[in-house]
Amino acid sequence: MNDNRRARVILALLLLTAFTLITLDYRSGGGGPLRRIGNAVFGPIEGAVADVARPVGNFFGSLGHLSSYKHDNDKLRKQLAAAQEQIRLHGAQDAQFAEMQKLLHLDQKAQYRMVAAHVIAVGSSLQFESTATIDVGSDDGVRNNQTVIDGDGLVGRTLSVGPTTSTVLLGNDPHFAAGARLASSGQIGIVEGHGLRPMTFTLLDSQGAISPGDRLVTFGDIRNSPFVAEVPIGHVTAVQPVNGALTRTATVAPYVRFSTLDVVGVVVAVGTPPKRDSLLPPKPTPSASSSTSKNPTTSPTPSNTP
Amino acid sequence: MMRRPLLTAAVIATAMLLQVTVVNRLRLPGGHPDLVLLGLVSLALVGGPSYGAVVGFAAGFFTDILPPADHTIGRLAFVYAVIGYAAGLLEDAEERSVLTTVAVVAFASALGVVLFAGIGALLGDSRISASSVSHALLGAVIYDVVLAPFIVPLVSGAARRVEPVAVR
Repeated sequence: MNDNRRARVILALLLLTAFTLITLDYRSGGGGPLRRIGNAVFGPIEGAVADVARPVGNFFGSLGHLSSYKHDNDKLRKQLAAAQEQIRLHGAQDAQFAEMQKLLHLDQKAQYRMVAAHVIAVGSSLQFESTATIDVGSDDGVRNNQTVIDGDGLVGRTLSVGPTTSTVLLGNDPHFAAGARLASSGQIGIVEGHGLRPMTFTLLDSQGAISPGDRLVTFGDIRNSPFVAEVPIGHVTAVQPVNGALTRTATVAPYVRFSTLDVVGVVVAVGTPPKRDSLLPPKPTPSASSSTSKNPTTSPTPSNTP
Repeated sequence: MMRRPLLTAAVIATAMLLQVTVVNRLRLPGGHPDLVLLGLVSLALVGGPSYGAVVGFAAGFFTDILPPADHTIGRLAFVYAVIGYAAGLLEDAEERSVLTTVAVVAFASALGVVLFAGIGALLGDSRISASSVSHALLGAVIYDVVLAPFIVPLVSGAARRVEPVAVR
């Protein structure tokens, strides 16, 4: 009985401590000293583990294919596994190379000054967060609230930066929001992440016209933080019907696949701002009928040089 | 002897790091297992409630500050302390069947998601919604239950072999 009582007292004390931690961190609005310590201490370890774990992860990824082969010969099976692993690795390298090339391409077109990075860790224990750790930090010139892109478009923004690693808030996280502009008409609104549900674009003008297939780019923020202008975000897939709402909402298919991120770049500076819509991929074909009734008088000025 | 604390630290640290660098990156349908929770339950089942609560708190705290976590620090410490305590209450059952183990893990996984979401809702976290909670609940319970018969006996066995003197 004494033991049980002691255990209960210990639990009560621990829960009290946890509540104190929650209160302190909540009031500091996140990004407190503990988070910084965590970044500085665990970041490098994660980087090292990710280096070792990448081939292992690739191996587990390839297991699904291996199971379909039913050779009883052990030797043959081993050879097959080795060969498959080799192919997997080569495939991964090729894909990585292609991603880097795309990123470089976008980089050259836009004249962003970027720091390239690998994704080394993703998410948290209970799967509510859509965040990633990348292997560059303040030592590489990365700061909080900078735009993160890959070869396809907008990935997210930096959230907390350690010396050699930083945390990125991905576009599909429910905490994510970015100013966006419709490429065709120049109307502005807000793109938001919703976790498992698709991203949405809220047009600030209730009379504005949106149609499926319209493409979205970032609007750009003052001093390019958190977002630089003209980064492709995605295209509109469906428009919610208006029923007396003050804003119009559409669902958005992002250009970036958040589940398979590998090579990304953090935009640390912008040279001359890129030309309007110059970075966008071509419009998706199925909905070529774009009805752009609204004139672009309310259009933003993307000329925000640093 | 310091062997049990060492084993505990090794199990939790490995689980934490593998979770974010490997498990979360696998493209599994419907969610991911929670390795930290599995390690914690395995250790608490051997060590008892006080030990479970302390280990749970520590594991949760370090997972709270492990990048790329972005929730209020202390949430997982709270959740895992409760789970460690609850699992520890079932110690001494040397002859536990696999079914009991699986049931404990399923209950612990569900409790974890519900508690974490509950605190999040109290703090006004917009990541907590009916759909995200049900998704996390389903994924966590299913994958944890699938892995439990492999991980729990392994870790519990190791913990039982090193110095059976608990913290108390």
